Amino acid sequence: MKDTRRTRVVLGALLVVALAMITIDYRGGDDSPLRGLRDVGATVFGPVERVSAAVVRPVGDTFDSITDAPGERRRADRLERQNQRLREQLRALSLDKDRSAQLQRMLGTAGTGGYKVLAAQVISAGQGFEDTVTIDVGSRGGVTRDMTVMSADGLVGRVTRVGPATATVLLATDQTSSIGSRLEASKEIGIVQGRGRRGFGGGGGTPLRFQLLDATAPIAVGQRIVTLGSQGQRPYVPGVPIGVVERIDRSAGGLTRTAYVRPFVRFTSLDVVAVVVAPPKQDPRDALLPPKPPPPAPSTSPSAHPSATPTRGKRPEARPSGTKSPFTRPSRGD
Amino acid sequence: MLNPPEASPAGRAAVAAVVIVVTLILQVSVANRLPLPGGVQPDLVLLAVVALALVAGSMTGMVAGFLAGLAADIVPPADHTIGRYALVYCLIGYLCGVATAEMDRQSVVPFFAVAAGALAGTVLYAVTGMILGDPRAEWASVSRMVPPQVLYDVIASPFVVWAVLRATRRYERGERTRGDGLAVPAARYRAMSGRGGTL
Repeated sequence: MKDTRRTRVVLGALLVVALAMITIDYRGGDDSPLRGLRDVGATVFGPVERVSAAVVRPVGDTFDSITDAPGERRRADRLERQNQRLREQLRALSLDKDRSAQLQRMLGTAGTGGYKVLAAQVISAGQGFEDTVTIDVGSRGGVTRDMTVMSADGLVGRVTRVGPATATVLLATDQTSSIGSRLEASKEIGIVQGRGRRGFGGGGGTPLRFQLLDATAPIAVGQRIVTLGSQGQRPYVPGVPIGVVERIDRSAGGLTRTAYVRPFVRFTSLDVVAVVVAPPKQDPRDALLPPKPPPPAPSTSPSAHPSATPTRGKRPEARPSGTKSPFTRPSRGD
Repeated sequence: MLNPPEASPAGRAAVAAVVIVVTLILQVSVANRLPLPGGVQPDLVLLAVVALALVAGSMTGMVAGFLAGLAADIVPPADHTIGRYALVYCLIGYLCGVATAEMDRQSVVPFFAVAAGALAGTVLYAVTGMILGDPRAEWASVSRMVPPQVLYDVIASPFVVWAVLRATRRYERGERTRGDGLAVPAARYRAMSGRGGTL
């Protein structure tokens, strides 16, 4: 059949093209000539994903409300949103003195001045084996490569690729992710590595692995781990909570000691995250941001913490003026 | 391959392109975010490619597979070597298209074909990762993630196949008068999807 022949020629050509792309992209690594293709992808699909995320959010909510108890979910969601900003403020300003002094000494940077954050929404997630998500802020919002991404609970990951309106975040649970980190009490340093997609690939409840560089250093179950901070605070800013040591591998003979860590963040249900925009810029995201007053959260929700309003009033500088608050998002719970 | 591709190639291509784009967007923004046990999600794009190949033959299957794979390689959260999905989906599209031509007599066959395609595609993608030394595609992860993924693919396949058939049928109905006698697989799928639609 001549059709088969033609088909085979086309098949051969397509396979050659695919193999050539794999080769070029693989050899090129980070400066691969095919990076441009990804930029095209981000430019074309980014806005589509934003729209689709807005459309399909109710679907995800429905699914969540089936898996969780609906009332609990709604209430937790509302409280989470309220807590998010309070915690950001708290974390920015009341790093405990000890840690603050440590960081000052150790890094000598302005990192303790507070994280300047940019709230974002997760709009899509990666396929196959990679553990990545897309967030709905991009270069137009001032996001650049290698920024830390966190949520109200702790470290989420880092920005690996930036499109005009979207950015790709490599989650801490990805197997290619490794984060310099530190035990909170003993100040021992180590490396946190991901164990696979959404933590389920190899981990179950402990999707992170912590390797203590000093094998003789004391480590105990229940100790908390925070980021150590990278040089120049990129990709990871210091002091972001990562997780709790859940299990310690007692296998002897290694140069390092391994512990398994349960993260503070629930990677299966990432929603509102914050990109740490460091260093602070002169006019971050001002053009994009509609100047919204803080929503009347305490009045609309009966379970609001009574101290929310005074705290916000007392510490207006906790939130940089140009930074988008998570509260500008409509709360589905109300 | 038995159906007349010359009838309206542009219309067929447009329908296939729409199917692929919609599936891809649904994949990244809905399917990949479902907190399913096992940490993996069904690969809707792969299923759509298989379905297109079953409906329209190996040529459409492999071209659609290549383009869908390329799109899946560059859609924003993707972080693997460009070309891996293009290679895998292209091969799967071709193989499923060829398989259709040979086994269009039994009505259960398509579902086995979809399952087999899902299995082959998932394994092949993992193999490309292993060949490239991708740290994410270590044997420990692959062996744990491929079985549930194939299971989810098989569970999701009737829905995706049905949706793709509905989408393509709208276009194919126009040429039914001309092409129905030759388009045995397409006719069969149209009949199936018709039944599905009335339920």
